[in-house]
Amino acid sequence: MFSARWTPIFSAAFAIAYVIAEQNNFALFTYHPRIDEWGFLTQPPRNGPGMYWYGWLGTSLVAASGVTLAAVPFVRTRDVPSVIGWAVPLIVMVLFVYLLRAFFFR
Amino acid sequence: MNVFLLILHGLCAVALLGAISHQTVSAWWPARKAIGFAPSFRAVQGAKFTNAIVILFLITFILGAIIYPPYRLHGRTYLETMRMWTVNGSFELKEQFLALSLGMLPFYWHVWRQPLDEALAWARKMTAALIFFAVWFGFITGHVVNNVRGIF
Repeated sequence: MFSARWTPIFSAAFAIAYVIAEQNNFALFTYHPRIDEWGFLTQPPRNGPGMYWYGWLGTSLVAASGVTLAAVPFVRTRDVPSVIGWAVPLIVMVLFVYLLRAFFFR
Repeated sequence: MNVFLLILHGLCAVALLGAISHQTVSAWWPARKAIGFAPSFRAVQGAKFTNAIVILFLITFILGAIIYPPYRLHGRTYLETMRMWTVNGSFELKEQFLALSLGMLPFYWHVWRQPLDEALAWARKMTAALIFFAVWFGFITGHVVNNVRGIF
């Protein structure tokens, strides 16, 4: 079953790409809610706050798809450990608790 | 329109909570016989919830993304002005946990598809538990944020 090979890679790659995108603000696009406008890549706020979360999702989706496609020739004939599919997102969740700890210790 | 979408988002989240809770408990603490409330809650065939969970997760996630801008403009500004850092930080964690769950969804669907692969039993338990945690955390946080002016 081919999904056994690509889904764990996608899951792990998405989690890693997401935390990198969030921490470095690598947004594929920016939404300016006050003026209801979208912009390509990370842009400074315009007339109010900029929203980057949608862009981080886009960046992670593109990066994880790219990593998964690049890995396909290497995993076609060998097993991918399923543990990476859940362990990497779990580690990144714990990492986010640490990274956002300042909110809870003010 | 935002209120309608917010209520719809909440209703979908409740349905998702029920499905993922049944599935997670059935994976971690299965019951052979459905006698009484608790064993009946655990005695479901978890795999049969998978497609519903994927669809409900996606619908709830999309609805949440649609109603996010009003929160960013008004809700978060209020939290920052009132220096409610714990509530604000909880919402930040919510959006990260649910984004990570979204990325895990294809893997989740794979490990829970039928016929179930015995070798993936641990992956089934963990993926269900992670989505269970993210959805419950998101639901409680969203509820508190929605009612923050009445609560605090």
